[in-house]
Amino acid sequence: MKIWSTEHVFSYPWETVIKAAMRKYPNPMNPNVVGVDVLDRTLDAEGRLHSHRLLSTEWGLPGIVRAILGTNQTQTYVKEHSIVDPDEKKMELCSTNITLTNLISVDERLLYRPHPENPGVTVLTQEAIITVKGVSLSSYLEGMMVRSMSANARKKCRVSLYCSL
Amino acid sequence: MNSVGEACTELKREYDQCFNRWFAEKFLKGDRSGDPCTETFRRYQRCVQKAIKEKDIPVDGVEFMGPNKDKPES
Repeated sequence: MKIWSTEHVFSYPWETVIKAAMRKYPNPMNPNVVGVDVLDRTLDAEGRLHSHRLLSTEWGLPGIVRAILGTNQTQTYVKEHSIVDPDEKKMELCSTNITLTNLISVDERLLYRPHPENPGVTVLTQEAIITVKGVSLSSYLEGMMVRSMSANARKKCRVSLYCSL
Repeated sequence: MNSVGEACTELKREYDQCFNRWFAEKFLKGDRSGDPCTETFRRYQRCVQKAIKEKDIPVDGVEFMGPNKDKPES
């Protein structure tokens, strides 16, 4: 199991950042996400907006890798639950893969909040727990995934509102 | 961005446009009056749920919001 977390600061106010975050895909920094659908959207009693979304991802795994992993699937699916609280100015997203769960588990959490000292700036805290199951190279693969996620998160975050996984 | 069901992409775009407008101009500004997107969402959902069934995507039965939840093997 590997745990990875990072923090990123956007030089834009919270409302601007979350409007962009809601429209994060298509995302040139993460072209693996090929489909996004909203499954459910409701307002709770406190006026917070809950959304459940389904993301389909295409990793383009070569045939031999798929054969080693024992899967013929080319698309993997991720389920995401987000909560937007416009009064507290908080947007939280949690996602997890719902396919290939016998091989790997990637649980990710993102939290967007205004910077405590500067309302014109937004802080994104991103964390993920990655567990590779039943594969003898699990520790190596987990490390590789964490490094890949970390590198993606750094890619052009400074100049773009896209902050990808 | 496409829908997971290729046939639903147009309906998805229509819904997304409606939602993004409501989200930016009403919801974030504290206006909680009615959701103008209910009808477009219904149409879009009918299509998506059909695609999910056809592709056998396991959307049900996964609770999350925490790393300690167990997931069904698939």
